[in-house]
Amino acid sequence: MLNLLRKDLIALKSSLWTILLYLVVFSVFFIPKSEMSIYFVGIYTAFGTISLATMIDIKNHNHHFLVTLPISRKHIVQAKYITAILYTLFGVLASYGIHWVVKLAIPQLNKPDYTVLDILIPIGMLLVLVSVYMPLFYALSKKGAGIINAVFFVSLIILAQPAAFLMNMMGENGMVDDQMILLILIGILLVFIASYFLTIHLFARRDL
Amino acid sequence: MNAIELRNLTKSYPLFTVDNVSLNVKQGYITGLIGPNGVGKSTLIRMMLGMVRPDSGSVKILGCDMPKQEVEIKQRIGIVSDECFYYEHLTIIDMKKMIAPFYKKWSDRKFNGYLEQFELSPKKKIGDLSKGMKIKLALAVALSHEAELLIMDEPTSGLDPVFRREMLDLLADMMQNERNSIIFSTHITTDLDRIADYIAFIHRGKIVFNETKEGVFERYALVKGDLELLDSDIRNEFIGIRETSVGFEGLVDHRHKAEQLFGDHAVLETPSLEDIMYFTSRGGYVHA
Repeated sequence: MLNLLRKDLIALKSSLWTILLYLVVFSVFFIPKSEMSIYFVGIYTAFGTISLATMIDIKNHNHHFLVTLPISRKHIVQAKYITAILYTLFGVLASYGIHWVVKLAIPQLNKPDYTVLDILIPIGMLLVLVSVYMPLFYALSKKGAGIINAVFFVSLIILAQPAAFLMNMMGENGMVDDQMILLILIGILLVFIASYFLTIHLFARRDL
Repeated sequence: MNAIELRNLTKSYPLFTVDNVSLNVKQGYITGLIGPNGVGKSTLIRMMLGMVRPDSGSVKILGCDMPKQEVEIKQRIGIVSDECFYYEHLTIIDMKKMIAPFYKKWSDRKFNGYLEQFELSPKKKIGDLSKGMKIKLALAVALSHEAELLIMDEPTSGLDPVFRREMLDLLADMMQNERNSIIFSTHITTDLDRIADYIAFIHRGKIVFNETKEGVFERYALVKGDLELLDSDIRNEFIGIRETSVGFEGLVDHRHKAEQLFGDHAVLETPSLEDIMYFTSRGGYVHA
């Protein structure tokens, strides 16, 4: 498993600057304009990184390469889910760190005090996105996976504002209490686990 | 013992089927898998490697079941294909760093030795390598982890004649160890004339024969003679026949019967693997 994570890191080595660029561009774009910038910066950066890694895989016939190595398809999927979690944590925590610095350095932007929930919400949203994205990525051919990447990015851009509006409304109307949050988090984890098993099932059956 | 055992392997595509193929690849020998393009050689190899899942049938490699014992099998096999599976934006040395930790018996010393022998610079990017150089790299990887079985899919198709010879010598070296085996799919049959012990011929998704190279050459004959020797019964004796205004040449798979049939009236020659492939795949009569 470690070898697969190492493989992803080596493959991504020359593109690490792109991830930092995502972080800078999304921060500059969202922080001054949006109250929910902490979510947007984290989600876009993390999903951009996941998408970048899968695009490198697609471009290089990665699955053909991996199945020549002494690893099972189950391990290949497992490693991809673990890297997705790592990129999620990176994106969300980097966003939190940037917002913390911005709040101290530029108080006139009136950024709110951030709580654990402001870390958990984008993590939850990213896990849901990954849960939908991964089965499609592993079930589709090279061409299909490229289309999925594009569709996901466009959907993220289109759905960002309505989602932010919905969350704001729920927060203001007190529709979300601690118990509800716990239930939602458990639900998201179950979806993520189900997605993992579905992806293994789909990838194991796929001809390469 | 068999290095590879395929039993009743079937895979159907809309326009093509690998049909109930059973094949044994003997351990300790080089087996050439021949056949024209698009008859199922690569599909068969992909099924051996677990890249394509068969509709039915079973694959056993080095005594282990595929895909159940896939990881164990892949520790012990090397794969060389005319398709490059490596990351184009990485250098050879980065690629080595990526691949080596997966193998228990990886030898950096061997790998560097092969790079030197093949004149591949470790700092060169995969994307900058020619097709032949990529195959050399795949071969260096395959030979650096003590593979007992080399599975090669059209490995010589992009190579210049000098390296093709070099590669065949390397394969012959590998066969010094009696435990090692090679299966080598190609449509360039002259390579197999040189090194193969067994020949498996696949045509339209079915195995036509799988026997020793000597056995094949003893059994088949290329008959050449005048047209007046032919009538409809005689024509039916041929697997494939090519007729011109001055005579005919045709392939039979029972040399002794052909000797009795034609006596001194026709010339019987030992066909090349290419002749066997040509007449079998064309079949029937060809008028030139």
